[in-house]
Formats: sequence, structure tokens, C-alpha cells
Amino acid sequence: MTTTIARNESVGFDQAGFEQFIERRIDPVWITQSRRDSWAAFESIGWPNPREENWLRSDLRGFKLSRYSPTNETESQSVASAPVRLLDGVEVAGSLRMENGLVTQELLDPKYSAKGVVFGSLSRCVREHSELVKKHLHAQINSNTDRFAALQAAMWTDGFFLYVPKNVVMEKPLHIHAAMGDGNVDLSHALVVLEEGSEATVLYESSSATPESAGFHCGGLELVVGARSNLRFVGLQDWGSNTWHFAHKRASVGQDANLQWTIAAVGSKFSQVDQQVNLIGKGANSHVNGVLFTRDRQHLTYNTTQRHSATHCTSDFLYKAVLKDRSRTVWRGMIKVDEGADKTDGYQRNDNLLLSDNARADSIPGLEIKADDVRCTHGSTSGRVDEELIFYARSRGFSRQEAILMIVTGFFQQIFDRITIDSVRDALGAAIARQVRQYD
Amino acid sequence: MTSNTSTNFAFACKLSELKPNVPLPREVNDRFVVLAMLDGKVFCIEDICTHDGGTLGDGELDGDCLICPRHGAKFDLRTGDAMCMPATEGTLSHDVQIRGDEVFVQLKDN
Repeated sequence: MTTTIARNESVGFDQAGFEQFIERRIDPVWITQSRRDSWAAFESIGWPNPREENWLRSDLRGFKLSRYSPTNETESQSVASAPVRLLDGVEVAGSLRMENGLVTQELLDPKYSAKGVVFGSLSRCVREHSELVKKHLHAQINSNTDRFAALQAAMWTDGFFLYVPKNVVMEKPLHIHAAMGDGNVDLSHALVVLEEGSEATVLYESSSATPESAGFHCGGLELVVGARSNLRFVGLQDWGSNTWHFAHKRASVGQDANLQWTIAAVGSKFSQVDQQVNLIGKGANSHVNGVLFTRDRQHLTYNTTQRHSATHCTSDFLYKAVLKDRSRTVWRGMIKVDEGADKTDGYQRNDNLLLSDNARADSIPGLEIKADDVRCTHGSTSGRVDEELIFYARSRGFSRQEAILMIVTGFFQQIFDRITIDSVRDALGAAIARQVRQYD
Repeated sequence: MTSNTSTNFAFACKLSELKPNVPLPREVNDRFVVLAMLDGKVFCIEDICTHDGGTLGDGELDGDCLICPRHGAKFDLRTGDAMCMPATEGTLSHDVQIRGDEVFVQLKDN
């Protein structure tokens, strides 16, 4: 299918478009300077070289930045039809809605504001809580990493900021929904900071106006998990099937802190996600769960790194993918253990279930260890659905589709068992059932 | 981009753009293909190496075959068949129609 996107021909991601963007913004001086530095990086860096390892299996030829225009902050945004999936039966402490990368609605229970919790639009928070934000914004994502990181750092439109002060526990989750209209752009950024001994749960989902929507998302996510704090972070990516999705995601986990991070990806035409968890304090612990379900000609790439910089840290990454049609997933996992990070316990695993002869899963686990008292293991499996299992289920009265749904659900069960939030389990189960229904 | 929906053939390039024995990568309806003229006939295959999923468009011709520029797999331009390791499966081969000075291709899904 050829996608035609109407856009204002006079404004693009070029020097003139950038200057107009800066003109429209009400940013502190330090933000404007940071944007200009990142724009200079964007102008000087070429598009990713297809011979670089991280981009070797990613075909960017179909991506044309000139098809898109920056979101105009002075125009009202409305993407009412984009579905919300993680809110069923959930009582939240706060919520935020973004449309085409701009915050259009934000709420926080006053009970938490009184305790010093800050939650809301990143654009607003850089003005109202400048010192808090300045310390952490783009501290983990280097805008010189690649051209997408530079563009995002230069032209992020909005996003959300969450700050939980020392020893404050948020019993209820926060919900964020990023919606994007057909042919639009989302250049949002998310920053979550948990101070020592605090606790929070964040549900962050993205979806498009229609299942077939086109668009361009270039996002950044930074999580700062302070000493002895607990963060549960859930991300559900359900962009339209003609959307290009690029993201850099980073987390730093402090002493004896816990990060439980669940990522589910079912949408987009093409995704390239660079995810890194840095364990920087003694005894830090991270669990990452990944669920991917692809179909048609979708191409999803996840480059993950679990970096151990301190002693006695634990990391456990588990990614599972189900692929249909001619879709493709690429998963590259790397456990890096720095010198002196003894007593490290690192684990990574990627399992792929192929529902079609033409689907393809590339799985590339890796280890880079510079300490000598560690336990690091990794594993990967890829295989087809066993026709004998389907035959057995059909002989017991199930249809072929029901049998496949059972097998796929069973395949993901290990991840569902690690997810402690009911609404997330239900939403993922429903998303998987939707995908399987279209399988013959 | 010109397309002819009645026959599902889509415009790929001008015939005059094709030089004998020189592969020509093109984007057709959001897909990538490689065209080549061999013995006066035009052939078209999917621009995907089935070994690593990367592009074939920068490869060189060896007789009727296109060589993958990364690992040396060869694909028969007439049929899409894989002719040597490391590729073990063929890539898609698309039907071609010439109309005057224009080359049209019918993209297959499987």
C-alpha cells in the first residue's frame, strides 16, 4: 500500500522549520541552548549506516523525513479515536494525555501533590520545576548517539515528568496515553525520577487514530530509580500499521532499588528501540519483560543492554515474540559487566514463535564481561507452532484458531506470570487474542 | 507514482534507465525491488537477501545472478532462486510488463 501524507509544504524538519519551532516555544534559556546544540548534532550526523551492527538488519530506505512536519504547538490537537487499553478497572493517582506529542490533559490526585509529587507536562515542568528537571533531562541519552536521538533532543515537543520525593509511596498507578493522528508526528520525551525509598507504578501506552494510521514517532524515555526505591513501568506500543517508531530508552537503578519494566509492542510498520538499563548502585535489581507480536510486513528491532557497574546487582531480561505473515523481529541483547562489578547475576533470554514460513526472527544475545566473579547466562529459542499440538486440541473440540490462541497464550504465560498488574495482563491478553483472530 | 490497479502492475522505471547487466534498485509501492536487463529481457526480484534480510541492491551481477554485497549469496534474477550459500531460500521474483518506454512490475506477496 502506498501511503500519501498531506503536510504543510512550507514547514519541515530543516533549519527554517527548527527556527520556527524555537520561535513558538516558551522554554527556559538552558533548554533553548540544549536544543540548538542537539540541532547542530542532527545537522552534522548522517543517517545511520546500514553496515553498523545496530542498524545492520534495519531497512530505512522507506523512511522519508520530508513526508512529515513538526507538530505546531499553536494549533489544537485532537485524536479522539485512538484507543486506550490499560485503564480498564484501574483506579489511578493521576493521568496525562498527549496528542501528536503535546499534552492536552493532565491530572494528579491532590493527596500526592501535597506530599511533593510532581507529575505533568514536561514543557510546563521545565519552566516550573527547572532545577529538578535540569539535573536529569537528557542526562542518560546522548544526543550524538544517532540522528534520531539528536532530532528528538532538539525538537521534543512535550512529554511527561514524574518526580516522587524521598520515602513517598504512590499506592495507585499513573496512566499516560500518547495518541497520534494519521500522518502526524510525536516527538515526546518522558522523564521519571524516584528519590530514595519511594515507590511508583507508571502505565504508558501509545496508539494511533486508526489501526492503519501513518505517522512518525521519535521518542525518549529516561528512568531514574533512586536508592531503595521501587518502580514498575509498563509500556504498550500500539501505533498504526504505517507508523515509523524510533525510541531511545534508558534507566539507571540505584543501590538496592528495584525496576520492573514491561514492554509490549504490537503496532507500527517499523520500530527501532534502543533500551539500556544501568545498574549503578550496589544490590540494584532489574526485571525486564518484553512481549512482541508482529504481522504483515512489520519489522521490530530491539537492541537491549543491561549494564552492571556496581557489585551484587541482578538483571533479568526476558523477551518473547510471536511472528505472523512476512513480519520480522530483531533482538540484540548485551550484558555488559564493568571492571569490579563482582557478584553480578545477569540473565537474558529471547524466545520466538513463528506462525508462518515467511516470518523471520533474528536473535543475537551477547556478553561482555570485565569482572571475574560473576554469573551471566543467556539463551534463545526460535521455532514453529507444533502441528501435532493443534491436531490434538482440534480432536478435543477446539477450532484451529482457538488451538493457536491457547498455544500462543501458553507461550507468553511465563511473562504474564511476571506481570503483577491485572489490567496490564488483561490488556496484553486481549491484544494477543486480537492478533490471533486474524490468523488462519 | 503511476500504478495500474486493473492489472495490479505498478510503474517501476523507464526502460531507458536500464543498462544491460547493471542492476537497478527501485522503490515500488513502499517495497524495494531490483530490476535488471539480461539478453534484452527485463527481470525483477525482491531487494531482500533471504540470508540476512538485508538489501541486494548494491550487489554486482555474475552472469544471470545478483551477488549479495555482504556475504556473497547469489540469486538468479530470472527466478529469484538462491544459487549458493549462505542463502538457502529464494527471494521473490516479480512479473514484468513493458509498455512503450515504461517498465511495470506486479508485486507478489508470497
